[in-house]
Amino acid sequence: MDKTTIICRCEEISCEEVEEVISNGGRTFDDVKRITRCGMGPCQAKICTSMVAEIIHQQTGLSLSEIPLPRMRMPLSPIKLETLATNSTSFSAVKSVLDDVEIEEGKVR
Amino acid sequence: MKTDVLIIGGGPAGLSAAIETASRGLDVTIVDEASQLGGQLNQQTQTLRPLPSVYEPMRGFELAYKLIEQIKGLSVKPLLNHRVVGFYADGSAGITDEENVFPVKAKKIIVASGAAEKAVAFPKWTMPGIMTIGAAQTLINRDFVMAGREAVIVGSSDFAMETAMQLMAVGTRVKAIIEKQSEVSAIDQEKVSELSRNGIPFYFNSFIKEVRGNGQVEQIDIELPDEVITLNVDLVCMDGGRMPILDVFYQLGCSFGFQEELGGWVPQYSNTFQTDREDVFIAGNAAGISTQGPLLLTGMIAGISVSEELQAIRSAEANEMRETLWKELGLLEYKEVYSGRVKHLENFTSPILKDQFIS
Repeated sequence: MDKTTIICRCEEISCEEVEEVISNGGRTFDDVKRITRCGMGPCQAKICTSMVAEIIHQQTGLSLSEIPLPRMRMPLSPIKLETLATNSTSFSAVKSVLDDVEIEEGKVR
Repeated sequence: MKTDVLIIGGGPAGLSAAIETASRGLDVTIVDEASQLGGQLNQQTQTLRPLPSVYEPMRGFELAYKLIEQIKGLSVKPLLNHRVVGFYADGSAGITDEENVFPVKAKKIIVASGAAEKAVAFPKWTMPGIMTIGAAQTLINRDFVMAGREAVIVGSSDFAMETAMQLMAVGTRVKAIIEKQSEVSAIDQEKVSELSRNGIPFYFNSFIKEVRGNGQVEQIDIELPDEVITLNVDLVCMDGGRMPILDVFYQLGCSFGFQEELGGWVPQYSNTFQTDREDVFIAGNAAGISTQGPLLLTGMIAGISVSEELQAIRSAEANEMRETLWKELGLLEYKEVYSGRVKHLENFTSPILKDQFIS
């Protein structure tokens, strides 16, 4: 693929930038994301996930089933903070990462 | 808000699951981000066949109408223009109407989130005038807007062939179909030969090398095996295939397997269309990319399984109905897809991705 081809259109990340992460040892979508911001724009990786997996596959020879899915966090699609805040006093729409972590004697279980 | 069955996605699979559950007296809620039920059927003007034996062949939008007719008078609450934003520790879904987020607690959830189209990357593919085949189909059939005057299509799936014919029907000149493989990927050869008869060239082992234009696509260079040709076009439709939409399953903590024939990563499920989370069922393209007939059948099976779990139908009866529907699925579904599905079921207890950290 041409090096200048855009892979993540939201953050304007090129094929070359993705390949550079792979040459430095990146093997998953989240590796590429953390280093380049690929997938962190308005579409939240809905378009570039499969293209990045394809590049990892071509560059490393890993089969597509060896390239895991990116973590899909809440909120699943962009939402206004005002909406997420809600007008409810009994329900909090905001979820903390700590909600899913169980602590036992000061350590993550 | 409380409901017996929460169905995520109001397309063909979600609607057929709603019919099976609501007709047995269950209280059903359907969430869909669109402003009307029916999903992609609303812009499908082609005749769909084969459909399950209870339906005669009809056009996509007619099928949407027929399905919606059947939930009228039943206890089905459609939440249109609503989205699922995630799930909470107590299992309730966070649903937004864009003004607020509210929790919905369901006894069972059927996820029929459908498929997403994949793009095809080539230099300047982000230029206006370049879109997926689904986007072009939506423009012409739902919005009644010409997507372009002169077009090429990159890819040759059944969906691409249908869209090429629909573009021609509204007066767009389709100048070429460009396929990187050495043969068409469409299974239905009838449409392929119809396009050939209409004089549309198929360029195999070929791809778009370069796109030019001032603010929008005006010209493309196509790399053929032994030469480069230039075409003037104002529309490029990309057909990169489709993949199941998985974010809801990921949030629910479901496990995944990889099955190329089903579109890549697919949530694991059993022959009752139950995922490895016992309150979560799956239906439609999310369970493997297929055609409309089989999609309806998967929705019916999931709906029957949920009805059984909620004791709206006896197990013996549910088993019998599922067996009949699975037989029909084997008849209606493309062989390679069906065998991919059977292989996928066998991996239910040995998923590739499981127990992922969710936040």
